[in-house]
Amino acid sequence: MTTGKLGPDALLDLAIEMLKTEIGPVLPPEKRYASAMIVNALEIAQRAITGEDETADFALLDAIYDDGDGTMKRLATDIRDGQVDTKNHPDLLQMLKAQLISELAVRNPRSLESRGGK
Amino acid sequence: MSAATTHTSGLADAATRETVATWLAPAIGATRVHIGDAVLLTGGAVQQNWRIDVTVEGGPRNGAHVWVLRTDAAARLNVSLDRVAEYRCIATAHERGVKVAEPIAVCEDTSLIGASFALQAFVSGTAQGRRIVRDPALATFGDALAQEIGRELARIHAIRPAAGVLTALPVPLGNPSRLVVATLRASLDSASAPRPALEFILAWLEAHAPEPRTLTLVHGDFRTGNYMINAGRLTAILDWEFCHWGDPREDIGWFIARCWRFGNDDKVAGGIARFASLLAGYNETAEAKMTASEIQYFEVMAAARWATIALLQGDRFVKGGERSLELALTGLMPPEMELDALDIIERIDSGKARA
Repeated sequence: MTTGKLGPDALLDLAIEMLKTEIGPVLPPEKRYASAMIVNALEIAQRAITGEDETADFALLDAIYDDGDGTMKRLATDIRDGQVDTKNHPDLLQMLKAQLISELAVRNPRSLESRGGK
Repeated sequence: MSAATTHTSGLADAATRETVATWLAPAIGATRVHIGDAVLLTGGAVQQNWRIDVTVEGGPRNGAHVWVLRTDAAARLNVSLDRVAEYRCIATAHERGVKVAEPIAVCEDTSLIGASFALQAFVSGTAQGRRIVRDPALATFGDALAQEIGRELARIHAIRPAAGVLTALPVPLGNPSRLVVATLRASLDSASAPRPALEFILAWLEAHAPEPRTLTLVHGDFRTGNYMINAGRLTAILDWEFCHWGDPREDIGWFIARCWRFGNDDKVAGGIARFASLLAGYNETAEAKMTASEIQYFEVMAAARWATIALLQGDRFVKGGERSLELALTGLMPPEMELDALDIIERIDSGKARA
């Protein structure tokens, strides 16, 4: 990704490229896993900076709560207590899936590709 | 489960090796034991494994051996067994003909090397999940290996609490599936990040808990990556620290969970073969037969369990201050397993069979 601006995403982009092309190939085999983890972490950070990973959280919460006070903690508690379920929110499973897909788009988009985009 | 925490002193020290050797000689009926080279093998977060060259003088094990000394690492999950309890499970499984590395001896005295430890025979081969599922020869040995694994699982599940063995392991009261749900919920209570999807999955598991099977020994972490193969044949089942009494279907659900297929998603049986091959081996040996449909529930349970563990591993960084990139990345994994579980729930609720 090239933005033409020296923003955080551009710096991460350059750092990832350097790690992959200059550093990675000369590392001893026992350090390759660590190197792959670093690249993975930087790519996640890059997607988090450029993406909008909390939009889906708000969409989910707005669909469940009309008082504007929804939080993920409140929703987790309400689901455990049976206050929010598929009886009062028939699309709950689909809404939760949409939120997870949004998280994975930042954390591990490859896992979405291997599901055929599901 | 893996993490970066290991401590590399211990057996690297000649005096410590001598201390172990002095303890070991009478424990195995020898007149003298010498421990030569000790190499720290790559392992998980829960324990450390040393490969040791051992020379035994006298007694039934007279001669040269390569053994593995397994001890607790600094970071042990509180749900895992200690080395002594794990050794008892391995020894019981070994007595019943399950393929494990031969148990040699166990030391409960934590003063010798700072932790209890156990010795087993060294078994050659590979246990690396990614390497196994990418083996070009998998097409020729995968189905036979899955059948062999199925037979081994059935042998483990033939061990029952009623036989009066492993009496130190707690026997669950009530439905063991609901007990798993309660345990996972209790773990989530201390987690740093709320997970509504995981709570939904646990609520579904509680509502759909099946009638339990007869309680059996459950390995608790039987998956690709935790068994050793050599030339396409199973040589040893590893990592028994999550062994417990429970519903045997738990092990099968864990084995086939998508997260343990290492990218070979179409090979449902641990990324190595068709699910039918695993079940065929299992049902050939097991007293109580299994069907594919009844395992789906336990596949959901497996995904929920790994999602919870991943979250807690991440919290070792978030809350525990362990500065490990591997732990932090593991902590980001729950949505993968949650999505797996929701996909299966959707499939079950719609009455569709596995694609």
